[in-house]
Amino acid sequence: MSYLTRRSMLRGTLALAAARPIAAPYIARAAATTASVWFAQGFVQDEDVALRKAVADYEKASGNKIELSIIPFAPERQKIISALTSGVVPDLMDSNPNELLQIYAWQDRWVDVSDVVATQKAQFSETALQSTQAYNNVTKKRGTYGVPLRAAVVPCHIWRPLVEKAGFKIEDIPKTWDAYFDFFKKVQDNLRKQGERKVYGLGFQVTANGVDPYNLFTAFLIAHGGQDIVTRDGKLHLDDPKVKQAAIKATAYLGGAYRDGYVPPSAINWNDADDNNAFHAKLMVMDVDGTLSTEVAMKEKHPEWYFKDMVTHGIGYPTDNAGKPVPSVVGVTQGLIPKGAKNVTVAKEFLTYFIQPKVIGEFVELGLGRWLPVMPSLAKSPFWQDPKDPHLRGYVQQGLLGPTVPDYYVFNLAMAEVRTQHVWSLAMIDVAKEGVKPEVAVDKAFKRIEEIFAKYKTA
Amino acid sequence: MNSATAVDASRPALHRRPLSRSLRGSLKGGEYTWAVAFVVPYVAVFLAFVAYPVVYGLWMGSEASLYRELFADPIYQTTVVNTVLYLALGVNVKMFLALLLSGFFMRPGWWMRALLLIFVLPWAVPQISTFISIHWMLNGEWGFLNNVLYTLFHVEGPHWLNDRWTALGAVIVSHIWKWTPFWTLILLAGRMAIPLEIRDTARVDGATGLRGFVHITFPLLANLYLICTLLSTIFLLGDFNAVNFVSGGGPANQTHVLATLGIRDAFEIAHPRLGVAAVMSALPLVIPLVIVLMRKLRTSEVQI
Repeated sequence: MSYLTRRSMLRGTLALAAARPIAAPYIARAAATTASVWFAQGFVQDEDVALRKAVADYEKASGNKIELSIIPFAPERQKIISALTSGVVPDLMDSNPNELLQIYAWQDRWVDVSDVVATQKAQFSETALQSTQAYNNVTKKRGTYGVPLRAAVVPCHIWRPLVEKAGFKIEDIPKTWDAYFDFFKKVQDNLRKQGERKVYGLGFQVTANGVDPYNLFTAFLIAHGGQDIVTRDGKLHLDDPKVKQAAIKATAYLGGAYRDGYVPPSAINWNDADDNNAFHAKLMVMDVDGTLSTEVAMKEKHPEWYFKDMVTHGIGYPTDNAGKPVPSVVGVTQGLIPKGAKNVTVAKEFLTYFIQPKVIGEFVELGLGRWLPVMPSLAKSPFWQDPKDPHLRGYVQQGLLGPTVPDYYVFNLAMAEVRTQHVWSLAMIDVAKEGVKPEVAVDKAFKRIEEIFAKYKTA
Repeated sequence: MNSATAVDASRPALHRRPLSRSLRGSLKGGEYTWAVAFVVPYVAVFLAFVAYPVVYGLWMGSEASLYRELFADPIYQTTVVNTVLYLALGVNVKMFLALLLSGFFMRPGWWMRALLLIFVLPWAVPQISTFISIHWMLNGEWGFLNNVLYTLFHVEGPHWLNDRWTALGAVIVSHIWKWTPFWTLILLAGRMAIPLEIRDTARVDGATGLRGFVHITFPLLANLYLICTLLSTIFLLGDFNAVNFVSGGGPANQTHVLATLGIRDAFEIAHPRLGVAAVMSALPLVIPLVIVLMRKLRTSEVQI
């Protein structure tokens, strides 16, 4: 029996140190064909299955290895920010949330991927291509830092049985903006007369949590003529009377609907999942909420809801009050390669493979259509044009084939902070709960927006 | 001989030992090497997982501009007030209840032990799921609490989470409900450590009931009670879950505390340094607490 001695320890340590140069090249060789990828977990399991299939197909075709980590949505965001802060980063990640592209491009933290985007440039929608861009505050130039993978838009979701119970038909819903939403107030009034004590007409997220309230407010702002609040050159236009009027009208309508009792009172403190839950519980007639997750989540459990009772207004999305189409704001999920990634070559190669129309089209479709493709040619597939499906054609029409715009943070990063600081939410809540006049609430919001924009001066 | 030399000469020899000899103590040769070998992993772990994160945090929150940005945030002042209220009410009400309940659970009998088992359940169950349940229970339209009120009394309950004060109250009550059992057990252990002779002697001298508590039990428990209160304050200052899952910081960002504001700034606004600064702004409160706590723990007197 041998005992551990100081000499034996020293001998062992020296032996390990001597072996390292021999072992190290093997490890390096292995790493040359391996890339680590982080991606947000899907809302339905099919999304993860679709991603794993795409990765497996790439591995088979290339001989490279992808170390895929599928991480729940909220923790992934924290993991990404922690990684970028510490500098220990994966080779590829998705933009969760989408504005991460612009936030960290400002700090020059992404690898330029214009060469990857160029491989499919003719295929991408104009909105998707614009969304790949961001301002780099180190180089003082805009660059291409994201590769578009999938997109989402904010449709209106409606319960047909509740509309019919109130004595109306879906076809009765008006086409213009204010009349469209006023209709659901009448539905609620009629339901109340029938003793429905707890069903509300409108599922507006008049809250300061999550991303829903910002999306809701932006839709109303654009519909009322405030589209140019931030222009493509990144300039803020709060002094434009059209923008101010639109902001006042949006604040007045959304806050007023809550104040007048047409929105569930608890909406003032909802998080992103609460409106979905309330809608599924049939506690409101309509909801304005991003993606088709509201419908897709119920497809297997309640097929009759999906195919008969739930109505999605993508086709049928209201026009503005003058009858002109309202462009929908599209959020685009991007593939991002952080600076400091160990294997940029494989990450770029995988992205180039992944965005081939056949591959990315299958990936989106296997996810049941919760997400939209970013290439108009893919919208013509039998999946998206299935006449038996009541939701998909309208969704792809609204978010890909119809008029769309990127979110404002694509043009100026400050708008991402306007969103996370819930500036619009506070204006809506001031009107809804505190009885503040919309003009006063908007003045306060504009002052805060100016303060935030002052932090992000571009060349 | 000058006076300085005189003072040196009068010092005990121990004070003039070189540092290496002081470190070695009575260890000789190989013993000292082995001692170092065993200590090194612990020192390395301490440096990597305690010292480094603290220094890194201090470095991240060290820029003055971060604090200017933090103080310019319209919700910062509200957050500080909420934090103070959360600490003052959450800690003191909880500890006072724990003190009273620990006396209650000193009573003999099997049923008391059974009751204690049920009583500790809120502490034993996972906190996130219970806080989410509370969030749903307090929903104004469809929550369990208001449905019970309507069913039993035909009363429309308030929208608990729509008002700053009821929402903050809900957070504080949830915290107290969750953590009172734990501190009750600690104080119960403290009470059980009081020698029976002292209590019997006091009883003979007529110190029973409230008088016994005021003159015998509480003075003997006071040190433990103070240490528990300080520890609880430090724990609560970093508590994120109760606020995040019960009120979500709402309505309209009115119930944030420093811990949730820090997380919001770090991960929602994606400005980790600002998030660290938000938490660091509590240091003027934390440092005195830690100093008092350390002094209390260093006391050489035999105290319960």
